[in-house]
Amino acid sequence: MKEPVVELTDIHLRAERGGFVFRGLNLTIESGQSAVIIGPSGSGKSTLAELLIGLRSADQGRVCLFGRELKKNRQFRRVRRLIGGVGGPFALVPSLTVAENICLPLVLNAEPRNVQRERLFRILSEFSLLKLAGKYPDHLTRVENTLVQFARAAIADQPLMLIDEPSAGLDPANYQRVTEFLVRMAVSGRSLLILASQTPPGDIPGSRAYFLRNEVLE
Amino acid sequence: MIRLAYFARELWHNLRRNTGTALASLLSLTLLFLLFDLFWISAGTVDKFYRDLLSELRVEVFVDESVTDDRLTQVFDQFLAIDGVLDYEYVSRDAARSRLADMVGADLLVGYDESNPLPRSYVLTVAESYLNSTALARMEEALREVDGLSEIHYSRQWLDKTEGTRAIILEIGLALGVLIVAAALVGSANNIRLMTRAQAVGFRQMLLQGAGRFFVAMPYLIESLLISGLAAILGWALIFYGRTRMSIVRIEIVFPPTSEIVLFCIGVALLGAVSGYLGLRKMLRD
Repeated sequence: MKEPVVELTDIHLRAERGGFVFRGLNLTIESGQSAVIIGPSGSGKSTLAELLIGLRSADQGRVCLFGRELKKNRQFRRVRRLIGGVGGPFALVPSLTVAENICLPLVLNAEPRNVQRERLFRILSEFSLLKLAGKYPDHLTRVENTLVQFARAAIADQPLMLIDEPSAGLDPANYQRVTEFLVRMAVSGRSLLILASQTPPGDIPGSRAYFLRNEVLE
Repeated sequence: MIRLAYFARELWHNLRRNTGTALASLLSLTLLFLLFDLFWISAGTVDKFYRDLLSELRVEVFVDESVTDDRLTQVFDQFLAIDGVLDYEYVSRDAARSRLADMVGADLLVGYDESNPLPRSYVLTVAESYLNSTALARMEEALREVDGLSEIHYSRQWLDKTEGTRAIILEIGLALGVLIVAAALVGSANNIRLMTRAQAVGFRQMLLQGAGRFFVAMPYLIESLLISGLAAILGWALIFYGRTRMSIVRIEIVFPPTSEIVLFCIGVALLGAVSGYLGLRKMLRD
């Protein structure tokens, strides 16, 4: 049996203004499987992303990633390299160029320089970002910024991709490209966790859709 | 290696982005360390001066009139048994008279040709480690137990003043050292804080990508280490340049040994890294 990549059990989280964001939320994503979580704005999608990367902690319940229960910041820091993130809490590092931003996961994994170059070129070509390689995030359009984030999330083959609002900032043509890219990622065996306000048009293979309503997933 | 290249590149970017801040930090630290170096040299020079003076300190003991010359050998033996006495010189009545004549002139001693009232004495050479008021007081007590001595004399007041002066120099040195360390720590930490204030978003994103705090902080720690180390080296370079231009020959200026200067520069560089970490620590919190 495949080991779950994400396993959230009975998560309770109180909202700062009172009430609950999550009340008994459960979610399991097996390795190679994907999940699309759909919920309106303010339903807690971004909070769920923050919970998974350790920026928020649950009041009650278990957060397990890659088979390990995570409680402390230190434990979350260790698994972050296994997660490629786009949107929501994730952004580009302003002081690094597009190429440096995209290569960052490889630098952190201490990949050899030739591997970095080869993968960078491939990814830049795939997302048509070659001309932007030397630019800083301040000089990118919103579409370009999102594409660079996708490129960064794709380069290191991390087993889990966390995408908060994949359509945000993308025009229809680029959204189509990104959807095709996500399909390829899913087919290649990576797990995707997509948080969206509306049902994505493309069908992600091996994915399951959930609706975030009334503080739980349905 | 990959990470080292990244650190070097980030370090270069930081220095280019914040040239003014880095330069200001380097200059202010150089000035601080220069001040410390100058005090270090002054303290060493003054200490050497006092040690030279102390090495000339002699303890004189006068022999009681009742002791006959043939008993003097017994007194000699007892001196050498006292801790700290390296050697002694016997000064007979005639030798004392001759010395006095050298000092005040023979005319004043007219009439004292037949009778010489000057006492016989010993001048003791004391080991360097005993040239302090506590050890000399102990030695004085031991000398008082020697039969046949009437008086013991050495420059107690002068010694007390000398020791007081050395203690003050040491206290000022310590206070100055603490002040300079604190100023260097705060200044360097503040410099790094200023440099990284605009980088908060970037730090957060790097941590979210799985970078360790050490990884994020490293370019800044290296920068802080380099600036502090360079400031220490510059301080000494200025002093050695000044030395080549100086023509004071009356006072021997005592420079610390090279090994201590090297250790000082390394210590200061490490202190810079510590202060860099202090400047960054809030930025690296999750």
